[in-house]
Amino acid sequence: MSMIEFHDVNKYYGKFKALKNINLTIERGEVVTIIGPSGSGKSTLLRTINGLELISSGQLLVDNHDLADPKTDMNRIRKNVGMVFQHFNLYANKTILQNITLGPEKVLKMSHVKAAEDAERLLSLVGLLDQAQKLPSMLSGGQKQRIAIARALAMHPKAILFDEPTSALDPEVIGDVLEVMKKVADQGMTMIVVTHEMGFAKEVGNRLVFMADGEIREDSNDPRAFFEAPKDPRAQEFLGKIIHVD
Amino acid sequence: MQNFIDAYSWINLRFLLEGMWVTIYVSAISVVLSFIIGAVLGLIRYMKIKYLSAVIGLIIDIIRNLPLLLIIFFMYFGLPSTFGIRLNTVTAAIVALTVFESAMLAEIIRGGIQSISGGQMEAARSNGLTYLQAMWYIILPQAFRNMVPPIVSQFVSLVKDSSLATIILLPELMYHSQIIYGQNTNYMIPMFVAMAFLYFVVCFLLSQLSKALARRLN
Ligand SMILES: Nc1ncnc2c1ncn2[C@@H]1O[C@H](COP(=O)(O)OP(=O)(O)OP(=O)(O)O)[C@@H](O)[C@H]1O
Ligand SMILES: [Mg+2]
Repeated sequence: MSMIEFHDVNKYYGKFKALKNINLTIERGEVVTIIGPSGSGKSTLLRTINGLELISSGQLLVDNHDLADPKTDMNRIRKNVGMVFQHFNLYANKTILQNITLGPEKVLKMSHVKAAEDAERLLSLVGLLDQAQKLPSMLSGGQKQRIAIARALAMHPKAILFDEPTSALDPEVIGDVLEVMKKVADQGMTMIVVTHEMGFAKEVGNRLVFMADGEIREDSNDPRAFFEAPKDPRAQEFLGKIIHVD
Repeated sequence: MQNFIDAYSWINLRFLLEGMWVTIYVSAISVVLSFIIGAVLGLIRYMKIKYLSAVIGLIIDIIRNLPLLLIIFFMYFGLPSTFGIRLNTVTAAIVALTVFESAMLAEIIRGGIQSISGGQMEAARSNGLTYLQAMWYIILPQAFRNMVPPIVSQFVSLVKDSSLATIILLPELMYHSQIIYGQNTNYMIPMFVAMAFLYFVVCFLLSQLSKALARRLN
């Protein structure tokens, strides 16, 4: 029982083909890093998994549910698949605590007390327990992103999607966010992470997918080996342009 | 100076206040009705429901681009001759103001919802909330906060615009003061001053009230 399966998936935006014949199977507990040049379809691929974008053809199974089947309850898929965005998207009208408890209370029908207990445990995990009563606008970017991860975890998802979670952050706080992501990975969470943090890809990731022009060009079970010797010419060119590959 | 003292006789003041009462009464009913209708229409516009949203959008655009005076005329003179529906001046004024202000408010409300970034909706949906839950808990509260100032100023315009109904002889503030200075032109300036004061009081109280209400709802 794989967590996510793409079979010959295509995605069009009008006439433009954003995903081309994607075949990708992700097992439970895998930490997959997706890299590739801008416009290569990384976000699109990620967003099809929780139905923010619909696929045009092919088959996409998430937790054994066929997303193209009209009988599939998308809300149930989203309940099981969390997402962390580049620009955090914390609920601006809710406190940090409420950001985390809203989903569990309204979707999982958890009691307020239980949801708040859970949230406090998660706030300690991400090191921000003292910020519980603040509004998102009072937090720094790095703090916001750690809250966004806690919000996703609060739903007890089976997988979490990360779309460039550190790209909007100041360099000095990127480490804090990556550290939290590593903790989540260590707990056995299935993670699909679009990022250009090569360190994370090598140390935490156990799979690396390189995309270009809407295609998966390289899919490696050994990220370190990939970075040392990418096989695909586009990957070689792409890595050549990235300054720090340490 | 003597003009002012004479103009503000007890009987004239009472007549003015009677007019002000009609202004308040007509405005208050129109404010409530147009807020409800405008909210529903604005939501439908935002939700892009097939055909319905487009049709409503077209009607709103037409209404917003008509002079209010024309709508008032239509409700009072046009309805009886075209549909055989006869409205009294108060009802005609309320209907005309409600139609016009609903169109204005619908656009404010749609714009207010649209101004909340799509990221909030995406985050809420990714969090497992349904579309309606996302709207109710996340989008609408934020949109509402942004919408309060333009809505309040639209309400204030409504009060001022109600004076246009003087043309169909609605016995409101403007009309009553015209009657007073119609009888003695020396009272014209004192009546202008009185109207300015009374409209200011009504509009100021209305905006304070709306803001207080909005704060409580938040
Ligand atoms: N809603 C949309 N409508 C039309 N075209 C779109 C839409 N979303 C994405 N695209 C196009 O699809 C292609 C892939 O976009 P996508 O956002 O998946 O790329 P990406 O790999 O995530 O890029 P980046 O690194 O810049 O985030 C791009 O050419 C983009 O212009
Ligand atoms: Mg992207």
